[in-house]
Amino acid sequence: MLAALVLAAVASVPGKSAPPPSPAAAETILAEVRKPGAGAVLVNVWATWCAPCREEFPDVLHVARDLGPKGLRLVLVSVDFPGDEEAATKFLSSEGVDFPTYVRTGKDEAFVDGLEPQWSGAIPATFLYDSKGKLVRFWEGKASYPVIKRRAQAALDTKETP
Amino acid sequence: MTRHALLALPIALCLQTGTALAAGALPIGATMPMVDVQMKNVDGKELDLAEIRKPAGTLVIFTCNHCPFAKKWESRIVELGNTYASKGMGVVAINANDPKVAPDDSYEGMQQRAKDRGMQFPYVVDATSNVARAFGATKTPEAFLFDKDGKLAYHGAIDDNGDDAAKVEKAYLKLALDSVLSESDVAVKETKSIGCTIKFRS
Repeated sequence: MLAALVLAAVASVPGKSAPPPSPAAAETILAEVRKPGAGAVLVNVWATWCAPCREEFPDVLHVARDLGPKGLRLVLVSVDFPGDEEAATKFLSSEGVDFPTYVRTGKDEAFVDGLEPQWSGAIPATFLYDSKGKLVRFWEGKASYPVIKRRAQAALDTKETP
Repeated sequence: MTRHALLALPIALCLQTGTALAAGALPIGATMPMVDVQMKNVDGKELDLAEIRKPAGTLVIFTCNHCPFAKKWESRIVELGNTYASKGMGVVAINANDPKVAPDDSYEGMQQRAKDRGMQFPYVVDATSNVARAFGATKTPEAFLFDKDGKLAYHGAIDDNGDDAAKVEKAYLKLALDSVLSESDVAVKETKSIGCTIKFRS
């Protein structure tokens, strides 16, 4: 147990503890997506109990760090079960997340359909929107750093076409 | 530390590699695909969907052993399956996951689960994941209910609260089962829930 604590301390970036995810319905997430100022928005839906989500997480953050300066906005949404908020916050901290994130509230179906009717509800799920908040691509299941980066770059590039 | 590692294990066995999005789920009104594919049941016998389906209607549920969502719903799935199998409907649970990706989803794991939970209906292996692909299933658990004419009458979630059975407001699958059994129209034909991606075999 001590070793686990030491490991967790090493993994987290000093001074960067994640704020607890804010409860959000699909509308809140979409409002965040449509907030002006981003060249593109990447929404990643994850949970602490989902191994591929956890595996993909550093790659998602890596892409956001790379393309943030070019206008990519990252919106992280946990679908952890009620009562698991602490575990989610802990995981976010261990990944060095120091910005606001979300946890979905309400019924699954309203959340899934409200966010994107094409989404089956399987996670991880990643959504890319252009600067106008229009969905340009989404996928279910884990993707690798180069794939996420290429797709996010393509979403950023769509702003060039009128 | 040991306790920590044990707790972490189920998480490590959760969803794995990214799957291409299914071509699209079977539409309402469609007939059952892949009815002659032999699938090994937990009792060792090979079964196909043609043998499982019944004139009163047939429930096909894609599920698995490891997924936390499937586990949350598991006792409800088994209760519904046992109840409606006893009422004369065909019921089958199908595990389409690749156990190389999720070791808990092995055949032996299925046998144990079926025994522990008292499943009185077949729990079979979709050894190529092609049955799941043909249904357009993407996650676990995911239900497909066929009516007396063999047409898809309901597709989706077990109910509207995976986390807490006591807080279910809409028992979608049960309502659909009752409608199919009484040969009346299913009111809510398609629903969604959050779930684990199916670990399709490549």
